[in-house]
Amino acid sequence: MRHRALAPLVLCVAALVAALAVTGVSSQAQPLAGEYKIGVLEPLTGPLAFEGKRHLEGYEIMRDMINERGGVMGKRLVFAVGDATDPTAAASEANRLITREGVRIITGTYSSTLCGAASEAAARHNVIYWETSCVDPRFTRRGLRTVFRTEIDGTGFGWYNIEFIAKHLAPRFGVKPSQLRIAFLSEDSSYGQGVTEAARQRARQEFGMQEVAAEYYAFATTNDFTPIVVKLKQLNPDVIHHIARGNDAVLFWRQAREQNFLFKALVHAGATGYGSPDFGKALGAEGNGPFALLEPGPGFRIEALRPEGQKLEREFRAAVQRRTGSYPLGGHQLAAAGLWILKLVLDRAGTDELEKFRSAALALDLPVGSLINGWGVKFAENGQNANERVQHYMLQWQDGQLVTVWPEEFTTLRAKWIPLGPWDQRK
Amino acid sequence: MDPARPLGPAEIEALAQLVVSTVLLGGIYALIAVGLTLIFGVMRVVNFAHGEFLMLGMYLAFWAFTLGGLDPYLVLPVSLALFFALGLVTYALVMRGVIAASHNVQIFTTVGLSVALQNVALVAWTGDFRYIRPWHSAVVLRLGTTAFNLSQVVAFALAVVLTLALFAFLRWTHTGRVMRATAQDRDAATLMGIDTDRVYRLTWAIGIAAVGAAGVLVAPLYSVYPTAGLQFVLLAYVVVVLGGLGDMVGALLGSLIVAGVEVVGSYVVGTAWKEVLYFLLFIAVLVFRPAGLFGQRGAETLGA
Repeated sequence: MRHRALAPLVLCVAALVAALAVTGVSSQAQPLAGEYKIGVLEPLTGPLAFEGKRHLEGYEIMRDMINERGGVMGKRLVFAVGDATDPTAAASEANRLITREGVRIITGTYSSTLCGAASEAAARHNVIYWETSCVDPRFTRRGLRTVFRTEIDGTGFGWYNIEFIAKHLAPRFGVKPSQLRIAFLSEDSSYGQGVTEAARQRARQEFGMQEVAAEYYAFATTNDFTPIVVKLKQLNPDVIHHIARGNDAVLFWRQAREQNFLFKALVHAGATGYGSPDFGKALGAEGNGPFALLEPGPGFRIEALRPEGQKLEREFRAAVQRRTGSYPLGGHQLAAAGLWILKLVLDRAGTDELEKFRSAALALDLPVGSLINGWGVKFAENGQNANERVQHYMLQWQDGQLVTVWPEEFTTLRAKWIPLGPWDQRK
Repeated sequence: MDPARPLGPAEIEALAQLVVSTVLLGGIYALIAVGLTLIFGVMRVVNFAHGEFLMLGMYLAFWAFTLGGLDPYLVLPVSLALFFALGLVTYALVMRGVIAASHNVQIFTTVGLSVALQNVALVAWTGDFRYIRPWHSAVVLRLGTTAFNLSQVVAFALAVVLTLALFAFLRWTHTGRVMRATAQDRDAATLMGIDTDRVYRLTWAIGIAAVGAAGVLVAPLYSVYPTAGLQFVLLAYVVVVLGGLGDMVGALLGSLIVAGVEVVGSYVVGTAWKEVLYFLLFIAVLVFRPAGLFGQRGAETLGA
């Protein structure tokens, strides 16, 4: 059996190549003295597991990049991972990571339902909670000195959405923002409410838009959107501001089409609902048109970033490509960008001692375009990264793909179907 | 809408569409509730895993469509047999041991089964939302100003057929009579020579087959994911209580009422209120007509 005899040989060669690769890498970077462990908390089982695992993957990709670039504080960065299925588990896993694994910093957590509970638990031990993705505005409004958030908060999403509607859509419809009729529709989680209320306030106060409806629904038990569609159809809005969670986006879009409900644009924010790849899988080209505020997607002009940002973004994209064979997805981008900022702070502070860490974090001041996703950094006293530094992008569904369309200086692609025409003419 | 104002064409159009939506949504709820009411009525077991069997039916349709290109309507007859068999197996492994135990034990058992099935699905198929798009799910029928979705119309038609079939089965067949007898008094039925274990096994299997088939039928309309059952199952309990335990036609009417409350409530008061409204209805029925709107008085205490 020739093949069987060859197997050990092949293995030996593979091992040699691997060993060479390892030495190759370590000869480039400085030798790392010891390990530095942080806790990573994500939902890895339960209904949020899919997104949680993608975030963890983003952390792991960035951890390896960091370790190839000198680690943190000269040490090799390693993870103790906790599974935050629900808020109770998030809190108890945070406790476990702190008391059993001895971590002084915890990072996570995909969902807004989890970050509150987990960070409370961490705060009781005076442990730093470095949030990279949850956007519940309350997270940084509890007066906790231990919490930091690299991602925008929900009010920032609302701010950006209205910015896009007022400054990009309204001129293309040929009307003033104050002439726009806008309907707000949202699932009723803290996330949906946070974004929607911020958007409502800015739309009304700053631009005087005409709000024709504001409806909340429980996404898990809404099996039919026809009544809402019929109602909104009579109110005749130009723009629908819809924060959706999952299946509700597909159902609303499908039933709006069935009822031949014609509005000029639909705008969403975040990685759920219209921001999830599932929307395109479910509808294909029938899903053409809706906008979702997200991290940069296809069409993103890396050249528009600052030189240091470009380098980082390119290396990150290559690493994601190697690991997953695809373009970086939202979860990867949030986790990785956040972890890189943590490294910058730790390297400057030289310690995880809270007060020194805090002053290093607050002193960090990087303009937009310096980091992955074109982000910059400037933390406020409450630990929130400034919304205007966390550059966000409007993506649009075009033929089964979410592509970057705004701000236009950051993308090669352009928004289509403005205003949205009849349902059968959006090809 | 101002009730004093006469209805204009736009209002009539909206009203017609709301009626259509109520009927179609009611059909989907009925499809899910008939299996539950059968098990609830005959076995006096609240099957908390009901939604998970629905979810399994949805996955069956998903995989058959994705891997084999099979339309859910072709899968439907197979699913009946498959879920009947699954019902027999789960009865033998799980339910048989607790059928004579207290309600608490039964609740814990079916809740356990529910959690187990959800997590098996999560491990096996991940938490992804999945969709199928058979040709009929995108077909919109128009009648006057109202619009229907073809998959929904088929689901409604089959819900009526299934309900009537189960009703006829319970009413006019020998086995049906035996089931009703067992529901009314387990001990007396045993004394009359009825093999109650066989009756329960059969009831459970028929109930599971019905909900499995329902899963196959709703798969083109909703996304498929491990906790998809939870989206419907709470409503199914309301429907069962409203219609009366074990009452097939009551389940159909109850479904239409719940759907009506949901649709009209969402339209008139606001979507956030729809659950408040139908749970108020639920509580009112429990207080004033505990046997259900259409149930026989006193039926709720039978066999307890």
